[in-house]
Amino acid sequence: MIARSDNAAIPIGRVVATELKPSTPHQFHFWTATDTPIGIGAIVKVAGERVVYGVVTDGVAYSDLATPLHDVVGADGDPTRATEAPTVRQEIRYWSAAVLRQMPEEPLQPVPLAQVYVADDADVAQALRMDAFLHSATPTAIPVGLYTSAGRDAPVYLDADFLLGPEAAHLNISGVSGLATKTSAVEFLLGSLFAHFPAHKGRIAAVCFNVKGPDLCFLDQAGDLSDEDRQRYERLAVPSTPFERVRYYAPLKADGVNLNTLRTHPDLVGDVEPLTWGLQEVVDFAEVLLNRDDIDAKADAFIDFLRDRVLGRTFDDGFGTTHRVQTFADLDRLFRSIFDGLEITAGGRSDTWRTHHIATMRKVRNRLLNISIRCKGLVTDDGPSSDLPWKEFTDRTVYVIDIANVDPLGQDLVFARVVSMLREQLERRELGVDAIVVFVDELNKYAPGDGSETYVKKMLLDISERGRYLGLVLFGAEQFRSQVHRRVVGNAGTQLFGRMDMDELATPGYQVLSPATKSKLATLPIGELMVRHPHFTQPIFLRFPKPPVLRGRDGVERFPPAADVPFEEAVVRQLVRLDRRVRPNQVKDLIADREPDDVRRALAAARRTRPDDVLAYFRKVLGSRVTSDASLAREHQPVPPLNPMSDEPY
Amino acid sequence: MPWWHELIAAGAVPAAFTPPPTTPGTDGAGGTEHADLVEDAELEAHPLPGRSVARLPEAVSFLAGIERWSVVAYDGVVQVVNAYVAAAIRRRDERGLLRTTRERHRGFAIAPLERMKPGLRQRLELAAPDLESIGPELVDQPSRYLDQVEGTVRRARGAIERELAEQWITAARAEEWLVLDGLLSRSPAVARHPRALGVIKSHGAQFLEGRGLERALTLPPGNRTSVFAVRGGHTRTEVYSWYLRLWPWEGNDLLYGLLRVEARSDPETTARATELSGWLWAERAPLATPATRWDRLLYPLHNVEEYLKALAPRDIELRRVSRLPKTGT
Repeated sequence: MIARSDNAAIPIGRVVATELKPSTPHQFHFWTATDTPIGIGAIVKVAGERVVYGVVTDGVAYSDLATPLHDVVGADGDPTRATEAPTVRQEIRYWSAAVLRQMPEEPLQPVPLAQVYVADDADVAQALRMDAFLHSATPTAIPVGLYTSAGRDAPVYLDADFLLGPEAAHLNISGVSGLATKTSAVEFLLGSLFAHFPAHKGRIAAVCFNVKGPDLCFLDQAGDLSDEDRQRYERLAVPSTPFERVRYYAPLKADGVNLNTLRTHPDLVGDVEPLTWGLQEVVDFAEVLLNRDDIDAKADAFIDFLRDRVLGRTFDDGFGTTHRVQTFADLDRLFRSIFDGLEITAGGRSDTWRTHHIATMRKVRNRLLNISIRCKGLVTDDGPSSDLPWKEFTDRTVYVIDIANVDPLGQDLVFARVVSMLREQLERRELGVDAIVVFVDELNKYAPGDGSETYVKKMLLDISERGRYLGLVLFGAEQFRSQVHRRVVGNAGTQLFGRMDMDELATPGYQVLSPATKSKLATLPIGELMVRHPHFTQPIFLRFPKPPVLRGRDGVERFPPAADVPFEEAVVRQLVRLDRRVRPNQVKDLIADREPDDVRRALAAARRTRPDDVLAYFRKVLGSRVTSDASLAREHQPVPPLNPMSDEPY
Repeated sequence: MPWWHELIAAGAVPAAFTPPPTTPGTDGAGGTEHADLVEDAELEAHPLPGRSVARLPEAVSFLAGIERWSVVAYDGVVQVVNAYVAAAIRRRDERGLLRTTRERHRGFAIAPLERMKPGLRQRLELAAPDLESIGPELVDQPSRYLDQVEGTVRRARGAIERELAEQWITAARAEEWLVLDGLLSRSPAVARHPRALGVIKSHGAQFLEGRGLERALTLPPGNRTSVFAVRGGHTRTEVYSWYLRLWPWEGNDLLYGLLRVEARSDPETTARATELSGWLWAERAPLATPATRWDRLLYPLHNVEEYLKALAPRDIELRRVSRLPKTGT
């Protein structure tokens, strides 16, 4: 993978040191010819009594012109004549470089005043200390891109032990939007990870939250690659093919049958699994639904009470009614029964039920039932859930959860539950893989540096700080790194930077970068990024190939989303997809006189069960459920008004 | 109001410069020398074409030298000198950059060996790889002795410059020109070369008199004088010469921006004097700052000097400076 240049090394510069600008153990200065290939970010080698590798961090050029006025005089004050001078003034290209590595490492001494060479592939490996994990008995090198400065084309690797744990973990990528760096870099890196994840470290998968547009909706479709990009893939030994195993999950729309995603083209929609959760899945994360003002001990206590004593159990409300709460509809019936009981049975004299104040109960009820309205399609009112394949995650598979069109509260809920489940199952080693990469874009939104302590932020902090021990790795992306919680970005062992906004670069977090490096970051072209990694003592600029997958907006053009279909047609399509023997007319006849909610419930059961005879199963579930539910007369009485004595605003 | 303002108001040209005394030897002997006009009936000013239309040779090399010396030891009143001379030719490429093509240097000791104590003399002869003995006559007059040393060093410098110039002649490309810093007439071979020019900045020797002298010394910028012949002698070859003004002298001094150019003694020189002057006039940019004589020093020659200074041993540079410690801060 690493090639030593055959060309005899020709020095391109020489280290110089003065009293004002001396060589130190961490920095040195050198000059080159004016037509040098060296630039900011180039890696150079100083070969003297010791070998020193450095990365160019700054450069200046000046001539022997004593004052600008002399140039004016020489041109007779006429700028058009300034180029008439037959001799070009003596110029200097004077570079500053930060030391990457010294060999030998001890004793640490100032950089010798010796000749400077362009680093070849082997030098780059040495300079970035990649030799330790590239050539060890159990290599852990993951290609991240090509070092292309100074006319080189050297592969650069990250250490999997420091990218995915246990030594360090997590990756954070910053950059302005729309320059195809953040998402593209992660897509490429996931492909590289899947190709090079060391066998001795087990199995790996990725969960990607698609939070905007169609960004991650076509990871299994091939995109257009240039010959140059293919050569880069070849150089990095990463396959230039889309992901082989991608599983898509998206909530349903409010109609309960059409998928709420942009991947609804008839050729692709078959791969998208609905993501729907019921009360049981939601109530464990009820804290997500509560805003800062809601969080109090009373609400927490009541939610715990519901979770421990009510849900999934036979429960007597104390007013003569027995409940078995399994759905939001069941929960609503329980609340109504309690409120009615307090109002009618107790004659409105009591504000409490089982030590819980009626206002607290109303608040929790509003929050819980509200989610089934705001996120209808993701949260089913009374149907069974359709979820990720917990405990059955497969190796080298990307699980895309498309929540781009979901209410922000629902996004929080999805994120909190999925990550919690991943953590729990990784802790118990029952997820099916040994490491999981969670890609979250828009960290500015989910883990802001200021603002309230939300459940999602706490969860991201927890992953950042403890995830590496579990194999739970966060790949986070954001536009403004300075606005993300310091502990989230600070715990990322590997940090990538695409083109940055100048205002962002002016924030204190970037003070360690030289002005020239900042300038380069502010003008970084598409496909280039700066990487910081525990093995690299200085930031390194890299180029990565365009990901081999279809970009979101290209995917939408090639596979335009299908329009929503009528309820009956959607049910037919889903059943046909499960079993091609199903005849549309049979299904339509079957559901013609049924309640839509009953049909949705039966459809969800068929999707989850995937029986051999889909139509028979669907008919059975539809029939038995209707009969069963029909025995329970639903009460549709209005909720009585609040006790006028209460000052609670609920 | 100072008295001279009245003079200027009456028509005198203002000046504000005190020229340093010209060091003898840089421009031949001081005093008046005889010259014969070879162009025009009397010395005239010839305006040059604009800089933008000047014809510059495609290939041109520049030759200059430097000298350094300092007294490093005393044997009684005998001053022992460490000297260094160097010269280089730098060729200008098509991009306008100067590259060194030839270079010579010499580090040597100067001492009046006859006046030294035998023991010290023996040690000097063993220790100094290159030793030049000078006459003992002026040892007892330290100041004049140092003038003698200076002359010795200058001759040594002239010798290696001449040597380099003659080497250049044997290997010069077709159509390549050589511009020397100083007299062309020291070497017969160089003085007769059709594409060699000497550019003299010091004007110790005076070739003109009367009205011709006044016209030469008050020459407007962008003008040259008529060509005159500088007679040869036992130390120099006859050459043609003319004055050229690079920068306005008014407000400075008569010699400000004034060059004397030497070329081979040939009618073609006279025919091409305006063209060659136009070329040299175009060479006034870029300015040869921060050199003190930038008004007369062509930048390429300044560049050759800077190149040589960069290579010169640093210990000799410290001559005539304070003994106080020097820091860079």
